Amino acid sequence: MTHHPAIRTVGLIKDYGRHRALNGLDLEVRRGETFGFLGPNGAGKSTTIRVLLDLLRPDGGTAEVLGLAPRDAGPSLRARIGYLPGELHVAGRTPAGDALRHFAALRGGRGRDRIAPLAERLSLDLRRPVRALSKGNKQKVGVIQAFMHAPELLILDEPTSGLDPLLQQEVLSLIREAAAEGATVLMSSHVLREVEEVADRVAIVRDGRTIDVDEVAALRARAGQRVRLRFAEPVDPEPFRAVANAERVEIDGATVRCVLHGEPHELLRLAARHHAVAWEARDRDLEELFLDVYRLNDRTAARAEPGNGAAR
Amino acid sequence: MSPLPSFARVLRDHRRGLATWALAVGAITAFYLAFYPMMGQEMVDAVQGMPEGLMRGLGYDRIGTGAGYVDALIVGLLAPLLLLVHAIALGGRLIAGQEEDGSLELDFAAPVSRRRLYLERAAAAWTLVLALVAVLATVVVAMNGPAELALELGHVPAVALPLALLVGGFASVAFAIGAATGRRGAAVGVAAGLAVFAYVVRGVADATGNDLLGAFSPFVWLLGPEPLQNGWDWGATAKLALITVVALPLGLLRFERRDLGV
Ligand SMILES: Nc1ncnc2c1ncn2[C@@H]1O[C@H](COP(=O)(O)OP(=O)(O)OP(=O)(O)O)[C@@H](O)[C@H]1O
Ligand SMILES: [Mg+2]
Repeated sequence: MTHHPAIRTVGLIKDYGRHRALNGLDLEVRRGETFGFLGPNGAGKSTTIRVLLDLLRPDGGTAEVLGLAPRDAGPSLRARIGYLPGELHVAGRTPAGDALRHFAALRGGRGRDRIAPLAERLSLDLRRPVRALSKGNKQKVGVIQAFMHAPELLILDEPTSGLDPLLQQEVLSLIREAAAEGATVLMSSHVLREVEEVADRVAIVRDGRTIDVDEVAALRARAGQRVRLRFAEPVDPEPFRAVANAERVEIDGATVRCVLHGEPHELLRLAARHHAVAWEARDRDLEELFLDVYRLNDRTAARAEPGNGAAR
Repeated sequence: MSPLPSFARVLRDHRRGLATWALAVGAITAFYLAFYPMMGQEMVDAVQGMPEGLMRGLGYDRIGTGAGYVDALIVGLLAPLLLLVHAIALGGRLIAGQEEDGSLELDFAAPVSRRRLYLERAAAAWTLVLALVAVLATVVVAMNGPAELALELGHVPAVALPLALLVGGFASVAFAIGAATGRRGAAVGVAAGLAVFAYVVRGVADATGNDLLGAFSPFVWLLGPEPLQNGWDWGATAKLALITVVALPLGLLRFERRDLGV
């Protein structure tokens, strides 16, 4: 079994009427890893997740979860998954505890005895009706039902949304603990920051396609440095724009700003021809890299043609 | 732990609603029956003045007897109004309505097959319908003496079951369309439209004496044989059962294949 990836989609296509939500999405999540699934609003994260749970049937491509096709494996596969939906709704005036016991009953009672300890840990009052709970407290109900039966695979759609920073940390540690016990985790998010704390790898999706997959550490390296150089007098912009590993070169009289990937050698050699009066270089955080990806208009990325200063 | 969690869940969610409806249905039925001894003769006189077609169309030609009164007012008027409204709304809600408001997302994602979820929830809808019809039948039986209805009590089940099959049938139509489409509005709209149509067809068929037209209305199947007077009509009962027997499998067929929660 373990030679199958936990999740694999190949060329996944999903249309909502005439709107193509997934446009050949490829994704591979290895067993035991924690995987961040990132993308802007409408990128197709929830759609992909709902295909994995067999709530949606794809119009093309294939999906495999724990080595099985969600459509064919059905209930027995879903028994091994914990799912946190993007938004949680519970019918009527059901108290949170009753709702959670119902979700346990649907799993043949599995996880029932972990409801109380998890509720305590997240400080959720189980007697209150779910409908009357704040967004964050509702989210806790969702988190508890996803984790309570200690599933092999956790599929979490924006697990920390609506939670205050303290609870975000609590949920992230739940994720870490599950991962330490060997669970595979797929978590979607808009924000890299919360994913990078726990994830081994991330995929970035846009318009129903995976546009980037990498290890968090590699992404960080790729994020590069933000460099600012100030000279004694205005400089000729052209040579700076031509530096191969500098991006987003902005020249404002005597000041040159750019994003530098890799060695600073070429830029420094060029700078040395002038009288440099100030020098600043700071590592960019991943959030900035992520925003670059968000801003990209199409797949011909600035990353593919570095140095042309495609500042937008 | 319930062996039928989805079934149990629906009943728990509708405990309060069921109690309220049972009280309302019971009280209104008792109220109307209580009028029989007082208004019996006056109504008969009033009805005599009506055109014959209209009189028959409303089932008022037999209103002078207890059985005719119960048929015309309770089975032919109150039950469709109260029970059908409730049952169709319930049928539309149990899959489509809750799918639309998102409260079934986790049930869909649970290790339960769609077929099982569908059948358990349909059974729950049926249980709620049966409970209300049972309340209505019990009130009729209880009022038999006080309201001087002089019913053949052994015939009450012969009208209660067909009534349940009609009400449950339209609930099943709403349920099945809801499960097939995921659209509560469509489910309730179509089921209610069919019920109103069938009701009007019965009125027209009775008024004009058009038997062929009447053959297509479940209300004719229910009231035509006058079961409270004559006892069981198994053919008519079977036709009423057919509504559910056809609707539920068709709804399931589509429900197992479509996208959920879109
Ligand atoms: N039920 C639906 N009917 C029609 N279009 C839909 C439906 N659900 C999603 N879409 C469209 O499909 C695309 C992908 O949506 P999806 O919900 O998968 O995005 P997402 O990445 O989860 O976004 P978010 O971060 O906002 O949750 C969007 O363009 C969205 O408008
Ligand atoms: Mg989403």
